[in-house]
Amino acid sequence: MQLAPAAVQALQVLTVLVFAPFVSGAIAHVEARLQGRRGPRSLQPYYDIAKLFSKETLAPEGASWVFLAAPVVAFTSFLIVPLLIPVLTDFPLPLGYMGDIMGGGLILALGGFAVALAAADTGDPYAQLGSSRAMTFGALIEPSVLFVVFAVALITTTDLPYAMAAVDRSSLAQAIRPAHLFAAVAFFLVVLSDTGRIPVETHASTLELGMIDEARGFEHSGPALALLKWGSAIKQFVLYVILADVFSAPWGLAGSRCVGPVLLAVPVLLAKALGVGTIFAVIDNSFSKLRLYKITEFMASAFALSAVAVLVLYLGGG
Amino acid sequence: MPSSLLGSVPVPPSAFDGVTEALAVLVLLVVFAMLREALLRSQVRLYAFQSLAVSALAAMLGASQHAGELYALAALSFVLKVVVVPAVVLRLLAEAEVDLAGSHRFGVATAFLVGVIVSVVGFLAIGDMHFGPLAGHGLPVPALGAATATVLVSFVLVMFRADVVSQAVGFFSMENGVSVASLVVAARMPLILEVGFLFDLLVAVVAFGVLMRAHHRRAASLSTETLDQLRG
Repeated sequence: MQLAPAAVQALQVLTVLVFAPFVSGAIAHVEARLQGRRGPRSLQPYYDIAKLFSKETLAPEGASWVFLAAPVVAFTSFLIVPLLIPVLTDFPLPLGYMGDIMGGGLILALGGFAVALAAADTGDPYAQLGSSRAMTFGALIEPSVLFVVFAVALITTTDLPYAMAAVDRSSLAQAIRPAHLFAAVAFFLVVLSDTGRIPVETHASTLELGMIDEARGFEHSGPALALLKWGSAIKQFVLYVILADVFSAPWGLAGSRCVGPVLLAVPVLLAKALGVGTIFAVIDNSFSKLRLYKITEFMASAFALSAVAVLVLYLGGG
Repeated sequence: MPSSLLGSVPVPPSAFDGVTEALAVLVLLVVFAMLREALLRSQVRLYAFQSLAVSALAAMLGASQHAGELYALAALSFVLKVVVVPAVVLRLLAEAEVDLAGSHRFGVATAFLVGVIVSVVGFLAIGDMHFGPLAGHGLPVPALGAATATVLVSFVLVMFRADVVSQAVGFFSMENGVSVASLVVAARMPLILEVGFLFDLLVAVVAFGVLMRAHHRRAASLSTETLDQLRG
C-alpha cells in the first residue's frame, strides 16, 4: 500500500516529535551506565515533560511577550527542519525542496536565537550570561558550518541534504573521498558544540559558571519549560539525523512510499540515532570540558578541518 | 528519485587515490594538532604518529606499484622516524626535567587561522601547476598540495613557538612534508637519495639534541625567549 506523500512527510515530523525525548533519555541512561550509575529510565524525559505541562507558567516581572513566545517559536522551528532532511525516505518529499541545507541551518539558528532573546529579556544575570555566550560561540562555530556546506555543494553540485545522502550511497569511492570524510568530521564537531556536549559544555551539570546553552532557560517554568526541554531534545535528534542520514550512514532509509519500508525506517533511524548518541556519551566520559577561553581552540580545529575539505576539493582530487 | 538528484556529480577519485589523499591530508592535520598541543611530550608523540602516516603512504605506494625499494623506504622511515627519533627526543626531554609545556607566542586560535591561510596558499600554488606526464606515477597530485601545506604550516609552528623542542618538532615535520612531496613527484627515486634524506634527519636530531642540552645547561630552560638577552 502506498502512502500519500503528505502522510510520509507528516510521519517524518511525528517520528522526530515523538521519539526525540526517548533518544535523549536513552543516551542519558547509557551515559549513567558508563559512569557506573544506574541512571534514570530511558522514558524519564516523557515523565518530566508531562509533569511540567501540568504546572503553571510564571514569568519574571517586567518580561515582555518575547519571553512567553520564545519556547513556542523555538519548538516550531526545530520541528520544521525534519521536513527538509532525509528522516525516513531517501527521496525528497514535496516540501523537501522548500529549503536547502542552509535553510535548515537558518531555521535551527532562529530557534536558538528566540531562546537567547527570551533569556536576555528576563533580567536574570545567569540567563543573560548564557544567552550572550550561546550567541558568541554560535557565531564562532558558524564559519565551519559554512565551509561544510561549501564542501557539500562542491561534491553534489546542489545544496540539498537529500543529494548529499544520495551521493554517499552511490559508490564506495564517493563515501570515502577525502573531502567527504573531512566535512563529515567537521560536522561531527559542529554537532558536538551545538548539542552542548563535553569539550564545549557539561550538559548535565548544575554549575552555572560553565554553562552556555543550559543557562538560557533558567527563568522558564511550567509548559514553557516543557516546550524548551522537548525542543532541545528535538534539536539534538535532528542534528543526529543529519549526521547519520546525510553524512555518515545514509542507508536503511525507505526507497518507496510503501507502508512496510517507511515503518521499518523508524526503528532503523532510532538505532542510528542511539549509535551516534552512544559515541557522544563515550566522548562525554573520556574527555574533560575545555576552559571557556579554550573553546575557541575547539572551534578553530573544526574550521581547519572544514577548510581543508574545501581545499582538497578545489585541487581537483578530494 | 536519487538518480535525478545525481545530476552531474564530479567524479570521485578512485579508492586508492582517495585513501592516499586522505592520509596525506592527515599528515597536514597532525601539524595543526602540534600547533595546539601544549605538552612537549605529546608533541613528540604526534610527530611519531605523523611519521607513521608517511611510512604507511610509502608502503601503500609500494604495494600498488610492486616496488621493493618503496617497501624498504617505508621500513627505514618507520624505524627511524616512528621509533628512533621520537625515543631520542623523549629521552632528552626526560633528562631536561623542566618545562613540561612549551610556550605559545600567540593564541592557539590565531595560530590555527594563520595555519589555515598558509595552507590555502600551499594548496592554491600547487593547484595552478600542471602535471601532465607525472600523473599516475606516484601518489595522486592533490597529495602534493597537502605536502606543500604541511611544509608551510610547519614553518608557522617553528615561528609561533618559543621553545627548542617545538621548533625541532616543526623542523622534523617539515621533513615529513618533503617526504610526502617526493612520493608524489618522484616516487621511485633511487633509494640511496632517500637514505641521504633520512641521514640528514639524523644529523638534524643530533644537532637539535646538542642545542637542547647546551641551551638547557646555560639557561636552565628550553625556552628560546632568553636567547636575545646579553650575558655579562
